[in-house]
Amino acid sequence: MISKGDTMLLTGNHAAAYGAMLAQPKVIPIYPITPQTPIAEKLTEFQLEGLLQAEFITPESEHSAMAACISASLTGVRVFTATSSQGLMLMHELLHFASGSRAPIVMVNANRTFAAPWGFWADQTDSLAQRDTGWLQYYVENPQEALDTVLQAFKTAETVLLPAMVVFEAFYVSHALEVVGVPTPETVKSYLPPYEPKVMLDPEIGRSFGNVVDQKTYCQHRQTLDLAMEEVFDVAKNADDQWKGLTGRGYGLVEKYRCEDAENIIMAMGTISGTAKSAVDKMRAEGLSIGLLKVRLFRPFPVQELRGILGGRDRVIVLDRNFSPGNGGILHQELKAALYGLKSAPEIFGYLAGVGGVNVTPEKIEGLVKQSLSGQSSAKSIWGW
Amino acid sequence: MLQIRIEGRGGQGAQLAGQIMATAFFREGKYIQSFATYGGARRGTPVSSFLRVDSLPITLHCDIEKPDAILCFDSSLLNETLLRGATPQTKIMVNSTKNPDDFKHLGNYAITTVNAVNISSAHNLGRIVNSALMGAFAALIGTPDIDNFLEVVREMSPVKIEENVASCREGYDLIIKEKGAV
Repeated sequence: MISKGDTMLLTGNHAAAYGAMLAQPKVIPIYPITPQTPIAEKLTEFQLEGLLQAEFITPESEHSAMAACISASLTGVRVFTATSSQGLMLMHELLHFASGSRAPIVMVNANRTFAAPWGFWADQTDSLAQRDTGWLQYYVENPQEALDTVLQAFKTAETVLLPAMVVFEAFYVSHALEVVGVPTPETVKSYLPPYEPKVMLDPEIGRSFGNVVDQKTYCQHRQTLDLAMEEVFDVAKNADDQWKGLTGRGYGLVEKYRCEDAENIIMAMGTISGTAKSAVDKMRAEGLSIGLLKVRLFRPFPVQELRGILGGRDRVIVLDRNFSPGNGGILHQELKAALYGLKSAPEIFGYLAGVGGVNVTPEKIEGLVKQSLSGQSSAKSIWGW
Repeated sequence: MLQIRIEGRGGQGAQLAGQIMATAFFREGKYIQSFATYGGARRGTPVSSFLRVDSLPITLHCDIEKPDAILCFDSSLLNETLLRGATPQTKIMVNSTKNPDDFKHLGNYAITTVNAVNISSAHNLGRIVNSALMGAFAALIGTPDIDNFLEVVREMSPVKIEENVASCREGYDLIIKEKGAV
């Protein structure tokens, strides 16, 4: 039976905070940064209201916040944190440490441009620059999906023992007030079992994590990370299916919109995929065979699923709100690699759209699709603004 | 879908106005989306706030470039750049002591003016104009329902609650009267 819970008006930040509160983490090491700070503020309000019984740790930097997350997680408790942009950059070293220690921390990152020059705008490069750190990465497009995904991320992360990032864009999600269904604590309790790892730090036992190892052991350790990442596809899909059973809301690891018979597919992550739905509707009404594919799980990258969906299509138009200087759009690069060698692979067009937070309207998306219909694809991403 | 842009300066309450209006529409069973992009805003710098209202879930996540209505907190902001994307059908309300005719040089736009400072000071709110402006704006665009709206203003006003409610009511009544006179 589907439990409805409450319906509230929440920003993406506050929706994520509700998700975190409902997961009942025991430790929250956190350092404020725009545009994520309202998450930290809301969690302390929950604590004050008695809805949360967590230990808050507020150290002098994000680097130390992540260090606290790792050690807390390794003592066998559930840990949540949030950051953005410069804060995530400062954590970088510890992100590797977290996945290598198999600490299933869940962290929200609000995508924001990083310096220089200084800004506050929606751009996914901050989190995409962490793609090789061994964290799961979910990209979500609205406050509801943010809440739901925080809970799914805990369930998945704690099953495969890897940390998970739930990522959404500055302002368009973080500060966007929308109608959000908030599940009951009972629903969440039935969905998310207590975190009880088999191995943990315990002074009684005297065990440590992160020791010096020889080359072979290090290589074997990397292979265990690879296996854990492989497991994610099934575990994350089950977590999504179960959530759908409880609340009626499921998203898939990739979301297909009007893709059934589509010869052309727009591919994006985050808010641009929502906006693209309008563009798809309009172009469909005009007779163009087109659909949208939203990549929700970016790490691990659902290569097999993408190959299955995209084989036999004419064109994929990738929209990247991110930029890797020297190689263009990151989703564009990843898709080219994922489809390599696929028989009947589509032609792939990559556009840099929305980099630096510039506005991406349905009309803009339609313009880029039309451009791809009359042009040749290139290996290089094209600035589409 | 109804798409509204609210233009103000940091500190004037344009973002809160968006949230209050959003809440009123939500109470009427609508899906809403209200956000502002203001990261670098300080008191006095221009802030745009966006509000979408629909009977279906909203999947657009972009700035509103072609608004159905504009609420402008400060007439010094009302210029060609702000009006880009507006049409003669866009309902525009601006806080000003001037007459709509004084904005004719900007082009063929449906501009309504309201002296919100006048209303606010009469209700002991000084230059805090958002309640008066929101009331006037609700009258101009014909939604949300004023009684529901006043209830939300009552719940969400941080201080001087009854003053804000009265100010909102007066702004509303003033424009209703003007519309009746036309």
